[in-house]
Amino acid sequence: MNIVEVQELRKQYDPPKGVLALDGVSFDIAEGEIFSLLGPNGAGKSTAISTLSCLLRPSGGDARVAGHSVVREAQAVKEVIGVVPQDIALYPDMSARENLVFWGRMYGLSGDALGKRVDEILELITLVDRQKDRVEKFSGGMKRRVNIGVALLHRPKVLYLDEPTVGIDPQSRRSILDGILALRDQGMTILYTTHYMAEAQELSDRIGIVDHGKMIATGTHEELVKVVGEGARVTARVDHYLEGMAERWREVKGVEKVDLEEDEAVLLTEDPNEVLPRLFEAAAAAGARITEINVTEPNLEMVFLHLTGRALRE
Amino acid sequence: MTKILAIAWKDLRSTARNAPALAMMLLAPLALAALLGFAFGGGGGFDIAATKVATANMDQGRTAAGESAGAVVAGILGSPDLKGVLEVSKKSDADAARAAVDDGKDAVAVIIPADFSEVVYGSSPLAKTRVELYENPTQEIGGAIAESVVGQALLEFSGARAAAAGALALRSQGDPPAAVLAKTAAQQFTHAGGVTAGLDISQRTPQLPGDQNAKDVSVTGAILAGMMVFFMFFGAANVARTILDEDRAGTLPRLFTTPTSYGVILGGKFASVFVTVTLQAVILLVAGRLIFGIDWGRLDAVVLLTLVAAGVASGLALLVISLTRTPAQAGAIGAGVYLVLALVGGNFTGTAQTGGTFGIVQKFTPNGWLLQGWDTTMRGGGFGDIRWQLLVPLGFAVAFFFFAVLRIRRRFA
Repeated sequence: MNIVEVQELRKQYDPPKGVLALDGVSFDIAEGEIFSLLGPNGAGKSTAISTLSCLLRPSGGDARVAGHSVVREAQAVKEVIGVVPQDIALYPDMSARENLVFWGRMYGLSGDALGKRVDEILELITLVDRQKDRVEKFSGGMKRRVNIGVALLHRPKVLYLDEPTVGIDPQSRRSILDGILALRDQGMTILYTTHYMAEAQELSDRIGIVDHGKMIATGTHEELVKVVGEGARVTARVDHYLEGMAERWREVKGVEKVDLEEDEAVLLTEDPNEVLPRLFEAAAAAGARITEINVTEPNLEMVFLHLTGRALRE
Repeated sequence: MTKILAIAWKDLRSTARNAPALAMMLLAPLALAALLGFAFGGGGGFDIAATKVATANMDQGRTAAGESAGAVVAGILGSPDLKGVLEVSKKSDADAARAAVDDGKDAVAVIIPADFSEVVYGSSPLAKTRVELYENPTQEIGGAIAESVVGQALLEFSGARAAAAGALALRSQGDPPAAVLAKTAAQQFTHAGGVTAGLDISQRTPQLPGDQNAKDVSVTGAILAGMMVFFMFFGAANVARTILDEDRAGTLPRLFTTPTSYGVILGGKFASVFVTVTLQAVILLVAGRLIFGIDWGRLDAVVLLTLVAAGVASGLALLVISLTRTPAQAGAIGAGVYLVLALVGGNFTGTAQTGGTFGIVQKFTPNGWLLQGWDTTMRGGGFGDIRWQLLVPLGFAVAFFFFAVLRIRRRFA
């Protein structure tokens, strides 16, 4: 059952000539699923989150969250979502506990229920010992944890996370990713935006790739990789005789395609384990020596490159 | 309501932790009021412009030479020797002279009573009369000059009266030689002059219409009221600017993603601004009372004026915020707006009611009305005396808040 249904969502800033940040984006998120929006900076990911948070009014289309329209039932939508913004949105001169209590009140909690929930969140984000310290004294990772904790206070049905791991150390990133997986295991639905391919690949049940405000592909990691329609990519360099070697490698069993790109040969194969020894044998037979060889399994980077002609990191 | 209080409390706590803001809101107006109060009260090395004096010579008497004693006093005030110090204008009666001071056209009114010549030249040594000096309380130096000149004239009249009285007393005992008469007159002049003469100065300041028991306003009180209203604008701006700070920090957009309506969020912000400047005013009022002994007036009027002033300051601060994009912009534009309002409204000239063009222009500003309200209240006026000084600024406050909410809603919707 879909808990988020996005239909032809459009958002243009300062119409009619402003930037079209979302251009008819549609996707669904099933209950209990982690859905990642993957795309380069400026692709429209944050605008999508802002629109689905009822922070921005869409220029066209609609989205329903837990059955409520973001256009007509903003208040009801806000009741069921938790939003973790990309930048730390906390009060630095207040302690972690004071921040959680304040935001809890904004989510409608009060009294003992609020105090108990704040205690639970402090345990969840492992900041019980530092709860009375001002947030401005925290490390980046600790601030990120409080930032996420705030969005969990009211037990939302859907959690939006807008690039929550930007600019933090690997240990904190690992901790956050593990926490997100744990939330999914508890049944929470998560909409996650990132421009880190590895994060999307590791976390997501399904992924939507966005570029220039358009959804260019959606599916599981495996489904998306199939979009590329090719196997592993092997790049090889030899000490001499590259063009001749390329001709010989085309004859090797299992090699589907060989291209020359500057000073290296790019080969496509379905099974690199089987093909690699044959490539070395062929080189030895031709009197050449392989000086560098790399194998790249099909990934989202390749999917993005395949679909847009550009690298994801551009 | 809980959410509004939570937002207001958060902002209040943040302001309380901001030492520079507190210094600006509380110490600056007190320090300025103290400095200006002492400066006005004690004179100093400033060049003083000629004091405008209105004279109303009501003296009915005449001497054998045809000139009344009142005309002599008026003549001294208007003499060419004092032209650089006093600028005298003659008024037809006492009310016209007082009105000139009330309207701010003149600093002092010198009102010479109808029986002045009769007392000065009369045969009764026990007869008494009083020249009235009606002064603008913030023009202490000018008032002191006028008082000195009039006092000197009265002293000379008193001496002459005493001498004449002494001589008459000797004549009644016989026909003493001229030398004895002269000596006695001189002794009476030097020893009794001014003490038994019965010529006196009555000093008064403007009063509420129809209320002859109205109190005087202290210079420091008048200045502190002006400074208080002025710095309430800055205090409100300081708190209201947190809207822009929060927008930049991302906490305001995050607030908008919670199930909290725009109205509640703005209401919380307005409440925090309103409560902060109200507290600021209360602290300044109490400090003014304790440090300078200022009598602010009746509690009901003081409370209402304080609340309306806080409303105006809050509404204006939110309007400035709604028209600007960044905290720096709000600071610069806000400071300009508040300074112009203070100059036009009269915050730097105390609470004294002014007349002429300035008095008219002053009424286009909320602070001008508020200052008139404070002036009336400090003179003992109550709610009935300041209803317009409450209603007009309240209208300003509502208009400011209405436009601010419209702008802010449009911006964040």
